[in-house]
Amino acid sequence: MSVFNDSVMLVMEDVSLSYAASKGSFDHGVHHVLNSMSFELFENETLGIIGRNGVGKTTMLRIMAGILAPTSGTVMTQPGKTSSLLSIGLGFKGDLSGRDNATLAAMLQGSSKKQADLFLDEIKEFSDLGESFEEPVKTYSAGMKSRLGFTTALMTHVDILLIDEVLSVGDAQFKEKAESAMKKRIGGDQTVVFVSHSATQIQELCDRAIWIDGGIIKSIGDTEVVLEHYRNSMKVEGSPQPKIQT
Amino acid sequence: MRLSQYFSLIDVQARMLLKADSSKFILGSLWWFLEPLLWVGVFYVVFNLILDSHRGGDFVVFLACGKFAFIWFSKTVNQASNSIVANRSLVSKINVPKTIFPMAAVQESLYRQAAVYLLLFFILVVFGHPITLTWLWLIPVWLVYYLIIVACSFIGAYLVCMVRDFSKFIPLGMTFLLFTSGIFWDIRDIGNPQKTELLLALNPIAFMVDAHRQILMKATPPDAMHLVLLGVGATVLIIVMVGLMRKKSQYLALKVLSS
Repeated sequence: MSVFNDSVMLVMEDVSLSYAASKGSFDHGVHHVLNSMSFELFENETLGIIGRNGVGKTTMLRIMAGILAPTSGTVMTQPGKTSSLLSIGLGFKGDLSGRDNATLAAMLQGSSKKQADLFLDEIKEFSDLGESFEEPVKTYSAGMKSRLGFTTALMTHVDILLIDEVLSVGDAQFKEKAESAMKKRIGGDQTVVFVSHSATQIQELCDRAIWIDGGIIKSIGDTEVVLEHYRNSMKVEGSPQPKIQT
Repeated sequence: MRLSQYFSLIDVQARMLLKADSSKFILGSLWWFLEPLLWVGVFYVVFNLILDSHRGGDFVVFLACGKFAFIWFSKTVNQASNSIVANRSLVSKINVPKTIFPMAAVQESLYRQAAVYLLLFFILVVFGHPITLTWLWLIPVWLVYYLIIVACSFIGAYLVCMVRDFSKFIPLGMTFLLFTSGIFWDIRDIGNPQKTELLLALNPIAFMVDAHRQILMKATPPDAMHLVLLGVGATVLIIVMVGLMRKKSQYLALKVLSS
């Protein structure tokens, strides 16, 4: 495909997403989530997406992962590349044990049963779940769930890693361990799209950033510049200040 | 997704569902046998003791054949219809073929149903029905029945996903089928052969239930042509539904997420 030179992994062109809201009166019942978004994702870069809650960050990731299709516009991924969306608690089933959930998650992301079984000990070890690994997930605390979710996510191998707020939970000790593992992963030959509402995390991890608001791209480019725009908008609007740690 | 990966995912999910389900109850997997037996018990009390049909032991076998066959269809389609919606958390995070969810439900009930059929054979033998070669006819009957169940599961799952309100109609539809498929009455006892023919032609479940009884209790093979036609019809429906669900995969995800 002509749009792809070697270093472009994914192209979004004029992508919009809207749907008929079940009940409500947004625009005669049509809810616009994304509005005419265009950008490119380059190989081996870590692209940060920042914005307030409910502006379409997760929807954008879902479109990149092929879970949702845009209402209009095109999304092109370099042929043969896989992408996967990682977020806390990949669809955990409460009645199943941590082990079964991890197996299922690995298989859904393309591993065979045998490969999944090989990951399991690693997942058990890293997640520090101990014997709870064999217990049903419904008995887990929120922190335990996030540890299992993060670890399962970490073990998968894909060309484009789409990360949705995975670093925001867990106790301090695990968080540190998780962040360092994540940084190691991001630092290597891995293309990453990273969604967060924490400016600090974006600043630490990302080469480039996109700030979105109300379903449109407000600013794209160098992380520092984009974050500056994002912070300024908060001051100007006088909307409730999000907690930005600097 | 490769086909081998697809089927191994279905199988793994089905086994996990079974394990999770039996761990929830004190009696665990005993329920696989208890539930159909209790149903037969209920029907026996209502239709034999209260309504005085006085048919004795044979009526138990008659009920077991009917209900045990019917339960395969009703349980599977019920569960499969809600399966995509119930897996919302997975659907929102990964783009997998949506048919995986109803198929996992189908596979789970297949394992359960194997136990139910064993129980049925046991009841037949206990009540003195001889095992005959005609029983081999069960194999094509099961195959066609399975195809019908898969087709209906896909249709149910698709409809519930598109318009959530359909989930209200499914239990109603099952009750309707329970009454019209001759579970606790004999479709051949209607007295009007044309009506019997019409019911068997219009209601595939009635035909399937009747085929079970003919084979197991009367050692009579079912109408092979009818069976073939049903098999072909179900296969066509399955192909259409797989194509539709593949084409609409992302739209189904949006539907699940936005309603």
